[in-house]
Amino acid sequence: MKNMKPLEKIYFWIILIFMYLPIVTLIVLSFNQSKSRAHWGGFTFNWYIRLFSDSAILNALANTLIIALISTLAATIIGTVTCVALVGLNKRTRAVIMGITNIPMINADIVTGISLMLLFRVLNFQNGFLTVLIAHITFNIPYVMLSVMPRMKTISPSVYEAALDLGAKPWYAFRRTVLPDLMPAIFSGALMAFTMSLDDFIITYFTKGSGFDTLSTKIYNEIKRGIQPEIYALSAIIFTLVLVLIFASNRMRSVQRKDRELTEKQIKFRNIRNTVVVSAAGLGIIYLALLFGGVFTKNSNQVYVYNYGEYIDPEVIRLFQEETGIEVVYDEYETNEIMFTKIASDPSSYDVVCPADYTVSRMISLDMVEPLDYDQLPNTKEHIGKRYFEAMEAFDPGNQYAVPYFWGTVGILYNTTMVDDEVNSWDILWNPKYKGEILMQDSVRDAFMIPMIRNGFSINTVDPAEVEIAAQDLIDQAPLVQAYVVDQVRDKMIGNEAALGVIYSGEALYCQWENEDLEYVVPDEGSLVWFDSWVITKNARNKENALKWIDFLSRPEIALMNFEFITYSVPNETAREMIEDEELRNSEIAFPGEDILDRCYSEEYLGEAGEKLYGEAWKRVKSAN
Amino acid sequence: MFTNRKTPLVMSSPYLAWAIIFIIVPIGMILYYGLTDSTGAFTFANIAAIAQPEHAKSLWLALELSVISTLICFILAYPLALILARNKMSSEGILTTLIILPMWMNFLLRTLSWVTLLENRGVLNSILGALHLPQLRIINTPAAIVVGMVYDFLPFMILPLYNSLAKIDDEVINAAQDLGANKFQTLWRVILPLSLPGIISGVTMVFIPSLTTFAISTMMGGSKILLIGNVIEQEFTLTYDWHLGSGLSLILMIFIVINMVVSMISDQKEA
Repeated sequence: MKNMKPLEKIYFWIILIFMYLPIVTLIVLSFNQSKSRAHWGGFTFNWYIRLFSDSAILNALANTLIIALISTLAATIIGTVTCVALVGLNKRTRAVIMGITNIPMINADIVTGISLMLLFRVLNFQNGFLTVLIAHITFNIPYVMLSVMPRMKTISPSVYEAALDLGAKPWYAFRRTVLPDLMPAIFSGALMAFTMSLDDFIITYFTKGSGFDTLSTKIYNEIKRGIQPEIYALSAIIFTLVLVLIFASNRMRSVQRKDRELTEKQIKFRNIRNTVVVSAAGLGIIYLALLFGGVFTKNSNQVYVYNYGEYIDPEVIRLFQEETGIEVVYDEYETNEIMFTKIASDPSSYDVVCPADYTVSRMISLDMVEPLDYDQLPNTKEHIGKRYFEAMEAFDPGNQYAVPYFWGTVGILYNTTMVDDEVNSWDILWNPKYKGEILMQDSVRDAFMIPMIRNGFSINTVDPAEVEIAAQDLIDQAPLVQAYVVDQVRDKMIGNEAALGVIYSGEALYCQWENEDLEYVVPDEGSLVWFDSWVITKNARNKENALKWIDFLSRPEIALMNFEFITYSVPNETAREMIEDEELRNSEIAFPGEDILDRCYSEEYLGEAGEKLYGEAWKRVKSAN
Repeated sequence: MFTNRKTPLVMSSPYLAWAIIFIIVPIGMILYYGLTDSTGAFTFANIAAIAQPEHAKSLWLALELSVISTLICFILAYPLALILARNKMSSEGILTTLIILPMWMNFLLRTLSWVTLLENRGVLNSILGALHLPQLRIINTPAAIVVGMVYDFLPFMILPLYNSLAKIDDEVINAAQDLGANKFQTLWRVILPLSLPGIISGVTMVFIPSLTTFAISTMMGGSKILLIGNVIEQEFTLTYDWHLGSGLSLILMIFIVINMVVSMISDQKEA
């Protein structure tokens, strides 16, 4: 670097800045008091402290490390052995094997991931940890082989053969003659494999089972609904650690180079020391995994819960586990459609899920849910308002399957400092004045609801002509839309990133607390009223526990905790009366009056053909840009 | 080096078994799903579906963006690799480390960080605003996706380029100069052709992931822009049509095969 020309130096630094700018940003964010990425709320160490008590993140970290470590180890051994063997095979066989090895390298991650997912599904092989491990070993082997193979080709067998002639056993001769020459190549292959395993998202995403997350999949889940700053803290720690390790090893190497004339004994000592350090690190990681990871623990008393993102007070899960001794395996999804696909393709993956009305009826019609035994749901019978059960008859006749959790409306949240028109109609979302300032919902049915109502159609129409008109409306609107988001709408509105956003009522209430310039309106033309309710999946493995879970959530004090955490309208009448803040108890947003509810409709299941019609139309809208 | 001719076969058999079960069979499954409908009957409809305007458009856009990203990566990486190779920087391994190090931060986080930087009221715009400069309006546009792709895949271009450039013997370059080639001629006629293997592997390693990504386009494009990767992902996670998803994956594999053939031809030329 010293003898670089000034121009070269500048260029080098520009690229480095480009590569490290986002990393610096992340590290800065890890000290940001505000949860939002959008503004700086002061300096804090809080996220670092909170990180160490966040078992979900530590769990994901442990999973990531253990997968990376085991897959690297396995891939290194298999890859190296194969490379050595290949030298002894004829050219043709060798070419075929190297050709196969190239496939996962060159193939798109998405294709590799999907192909493995199909295989695991057909074999009905659903262990979240093992499937991911197999996938990682599969894509890691090529990195090792492509690093070791070129080196192996250059090694002449004569020294090895000489050792054999002198009476050495094959393994001993190999270890003393060939292996040392191969070591740097094996090491760099292993390093590459480890890095790729750590960084992989797409293949893990497609092959992971329920209740298993690596850092990547956890982060992807969180990105869509606002990331927990603890993750920034964790990345900052990892980054610093790696940086320190690298500098230390570089220094060690340059020191080593200085005193070349080490005695045999010293070298031996150094080797032993290195082995100790490496194995200590490995043991440490395994210990971490044992401590936090769900990898090796198999608790039979479990319940698998699949819920919307940030749709429960985490404390509630803890209380439930403490009281019942049942371990909650808790995963989150973004939209009904994602949840439905997951359950449809893997019915026993979760015991209890929380779909919206139209998905409940879809699941009922496809015989995917289990009827409820109300004798085991005393709290539900006592505290949930009768009128909610009556309203739910529309999608669950006889209230056989679903217990309401939360409900609400959909409306427009707008920033009074950025919008000077009166907001009382969906039409404002088509006003070119607000180009790039509009956030739409990234959920098929909720997005289509708006043009349907605007055009005076039923929100449940399956008339292709009407769907077409609605789709055209959305396509016309697309250039004005800043982004299609689900939970992110909250952060963006709070951070003044947009002027108008389509939002669920509960989120609106939360946003208003964080940013007082925001107002929520249910447009005059009407809107959507929705119910999210708990159902138990057909043939659930832990049916009894699922019932306990549902009834636990129906307890007034638990429902109240959840209400205060997520601020959606609570159907638990006893809990509502317990709300202390009078303003909140009578809030028009949390508990809309009859005048608003009279102009709100609920969504119904449209049949497979209808769903397909909407799905196709939605794809057209999304690719309109 | 093997005394018994069967030993290498035995030694390579675990990997062979692994490769057949976890590489060949799964690809066969994609073929099967892609070429059948939900009743199991043979059909080309899932592949022909690429002609539907929304699919064709997403493929075309993905091609466009990945070609642009690959080009930008190449233009950025080549001079850097050249500088580094000429200065013999890697002897300490520092270079590789500097390039690989960012990859230890999760790529989703790094991409998210770009969202923070580029947002309309994000970090870069606050800085530009303070300097009274015009604002960047690129988040949620294809340009932002290109930024994400270039950023995430740049290391995959730098490393192979560097490796092949560092292998070029200094004597060859000196010889070219001695024979009267100017700097540009040396670069164009000597260095560039000699680094071709690195260029090809770099291009492959940037082009394929860019072409098929769905995470970068979702994050940087605000879910507004569908690339072919997004379409396939949604078929599997959203619309629950594995047959169509597999059919479209087969289309992607065509590009992968083309890529393989190109690199094989160049390999042979070299040999």
